[in-house]
Amino acid sequence: MSTPLHLAVVGHTNTGKTSLLRTLTRDTDFGEVSARPSTTRHVEGARLLVEDEPVVELYDTPGMEDAMGLLEAVESLVKPGERLDGPARIDRFLHSPLATERFEQEAKVLRQLLASDAALVVIDARDPVLAKYRDELTLLAACARPLLPVLNFAHSPASREAEWREALARLGLHAVVSFDTVAPEVDGERRLLEKLITLLDAHRLPLERLLKAREAEARERMAAGRRLIAELLVDVAACRMLVKHDEDEAIQRQVELLRERIRQREQACVAALLTLYRFRPGDVDMATIPLVEGRWEEDLFSPDALRGMGIRIGKGAVAGAITGVGIDLIVGGLTLGAATVAGAVAGGLWQVFGHYGERLVGKLRGFRSLTVDDAILRLLAVRQRWLLSALHRRGHAAIEPLRLEAPDVKRWRKGPLPDALKSARQHPEWSALNEGFKPEAAREKAIAELAEQLLDEPSTR
Amino acid sequence: MPHALTPLESRWLAEVIRQHEAAGSPLEDGDLLPQVLQAPADAETRILRRAELIGAREGWLASITAWRGHARTTLLVLALIALISGFGAALGVMGTGDRPVNVLWLLGSLLGVHLFSLALWLVGMTAGGQGGGALLGRAWWWLSDHLGALGTGRKQDALIGGALLHLLAQHGLLRWVSGAISHLLWLIALLGALLGLLLALALQRYAFIIETTILPSEVFVALTAALGWLPAKLGFAIPDAGMVRASGEGLPQMEAARLAWSSWLVGCVVAYGLLPRLLLWAGCQLLWMRGRSRLRLDLNLPGYAALRARLLPASERIGVVDQAPSSLPRARIQAHAAHHGETNLLVGLELAADIIWPPAEAERLATWTVVDSREERQRLLEALQAHPPARLLVALDARLSPDRGTLRYLTELAGHADDTHVWLMDHEPRDAGRIGHWHEALQSIGLPPEAVIDDDPQHALHWLEQGP
Repeated sequence: MSTPLHLAVVGHTNTGKTSLLRTLTRDTDFGEVSARPSTTRHVEGARLLVEDEPVVELYDTPGMEDAMGLLEAVESLVKPGERLDGPARIDRFLHSPLATERFEQEAKVLRQLLASDAALVVIDARDPVLAKYRDELTLLAACARPLLPVLNFAHSPASREAEWREALARLGLHAVVSFDTVAPEVDGERRLLEKLITLLDAHRLPLERLLKAREAEARERMAAGRRLIAELLVDVAACRMLVKHDEDEAIQRQVELLRERIRQREQACVAALLTLYRFRPGDVDMATIPLVEGRWEEDLFSPDALRGMGIRIGKGAVAGAITGVGIDLIVGGLTLGAATVAGAVAGGLWQVFGHYGERLVGKLRGFRSLTVDDAILRLLAVRQRWLLSALHRRGHAAIEPLRLEAPDVKRWRKGPLPDALKSARQHPEWSALNEGFKPEAAREKAIAELAEQLLDEPSTR
Repeated sequence: MPHALTPLESRWLAEVIRQHEAAGSPLEDGDLLPQVLQAPADAETRILRRAELIGAREGWLASITAWRGHARTTLLVLALIALISGFGAALGVMGTGDRPVNVLWLLGSLLGVHLFSLALWLVGMTAGGQGGGALLGRAWWWLSDHLGALGTGRKQDALIGGALLHLLAQHGLLRWVSGAISHLLWLIALLGALLGLLLALALQRYAFIIETTILPSEVFVALTAALGWLPAKLGFAIPDAGMVRASGEGLPQMEAARLAWSSWLVGCVVAYGLLPRLLLWAGCQLLWMRGRSRLRLDLNLPGYAALRARLLPASERIGVVDQAPSSLPRARIQAHAAHHGETNLLVGLELAADIIWPPAEAERLATWTVVDSREERQRLLEALQAHPPARLLVALDARLSPDRGTLRYLTELAGHADDTHVWLMDHEPRDAGRIGHWHEALQSIGLPPEAVIDDDPQHALHWLEQGP
């Protein structure tokens, strides 16, 4: 394998160079990030790996702060009548005392750039195109390395992306990519790498490898996320509690217990999704995702939460107070559908007793069974799916709030529940929330099926 | 000392650990990580390596070995029981030979339960179940699992059997495992029965009869021939029509008929008992072994997906390659003699084109300018040198970050004026701290705090026109 591609990450102070490195390396503790200017004063590197093999080396550099003064100084180093090209001028500067004094930080940047194959120039697209920024780009261009301007915050309302693109074109920089360094778009990294490939054809192969590896990683993460949600739904759908007949107080207590179990189960799923996407609970501050410290703001069983997602509570709910818990007055589920009968015979008769026996015995002894309402299942599906796609875009869902009429959301809100959930209802042993939980193959199959149905990724803007 | 793990065992161990961690108790692996990262760069390999190291530390490795041991013992015991019960059953139904034996009844007793359970298994398989009909397989599983948990008495070992079950079920292998065990035990039981049958036939003299009240003897002739067809292919004899009729009429039996009936009986047990079980056992075993060799961890399982990022990192740090200086170069406003300037000047520095300049409040001022480019800056410095102002107000866009270049130019400007104030035009702050950073930066160049005016045009212009 050839030596990795060396990329310097350069730009004005406080434009998000270190953030870009953190995002590209997936290393949330890389360097030091702060709103304070001149936070990074050294050059620090990181390697991007594909299967342990370094493909790209990135170098974080200090901000260029005094480009105007430096440009003047560089020009003053050229003797009258002397013809020097860009790199020669920069070289002369780097060997002058100026490079260790007033322009020590700028010298670091230029030295690193000369040692690299190319540079990513991070620009805060909200800044006006000032003369000092143009001088900075002139200096960087003098190093004769391919430059890829990265417009950070290009989606901010204050962005001046068009102005920047025009100014960059005037400086001969036509390949430009907009990439939010903190919350990149779902395909942001792909576009960035593709732009790099067009600039650096000699490094096409390793960059394409990196691109593929990163895309596979995103797909796998998404698949794992859907599976987490599917498992949550099966656990909740199959959850069943028995409570003694005719004791209102006992029923109320059991209902609250059941609700608490479901809440904790949902919370576990949220936490797992955050971990999967490497968010720390405090990290998620998405304006339209009502998560506070990694918890949903709206309680799962509050009428507002259901209304917010446009879900109507079913008839199963007790009138007056929405409990979100169905109480089987007549022992439900004993009407065996033809399919369940066939399946039961196949599975051996004692299994039938396993499935229905508990409830049958319950009826004989005067128990009622508590299950979670369909509406709650719908709410869980909609809001967890939503969270997943928001995490997938690393926060960009913030720009686009949940659309209740989006096909996949609508299906979960109003359409019939998937068959996998219906069969989960018949299998209390599938729920990790129940006693006698058995993770059998049929449960796996139902989860896989359900995850498949959570598949259709909403279009990316 | 635990032996080297088979591929199945290492995946089983990984599943145990995944389930343990998924249940909300992540295991500390920081000290093991360097070792794990030395394994080949493949997610599954590293997950397995990590599992192995954690398993050895937490004792799961030994639990798995123990569980296997229990499963083996259980299987042995069950096989022994099967052999004895098959043997005993055959002896029992054959009796002592003092009464003639009803052949069909005998055949039914020998093969009936077996055929019924076989049918149940087949129905279970075709209905797409996981081999729910493999009763003996299930029994073996249940016993092994419960013995395993009893054996160590550790609570965390409760996961062991479940993890294997999950792993096998997930890959659709459970049916083949329980099928293979079930068929194997039946095979042994039927072998026992065959031995019993042969023993009885060898040591006792039996008369074989057919009894009926309503059926014509032709039915039995046909039935005997039909059932005997398959055994005949294996070289077993079929009693001829005469022998069958003779047995039906209770006539004293010829030696040839006894032999033919014995051969037919043994043939039926072999062809309809041993043979199908042997074939099914071999089939299940084959499918199980094939499936086992193809068994891979499902890396899309949530626990693994999160691990993958840590075990196969996307990046590694190189470290600092060019050290930070002990301090950054700083410009400071130089103390200078009074210029005794007579004018007051408002300067806009680095202002975006969309900022209205001069601001409406400042339009009445006679002297204002705006600079951005190097040339403009130079011209302004020259102008100030020629006519130093008494008061200089520099307006800055507070949304930008303070930088050394701007600060240095400020110090140069301030050097040409008797008194300099900075007006931070704050349109829409980007973050809460930014104004504070400007204040700090301006103080660092020697501008007193009262010389910095936050977004307050009245105040700023009042100072410019009237002085403090």
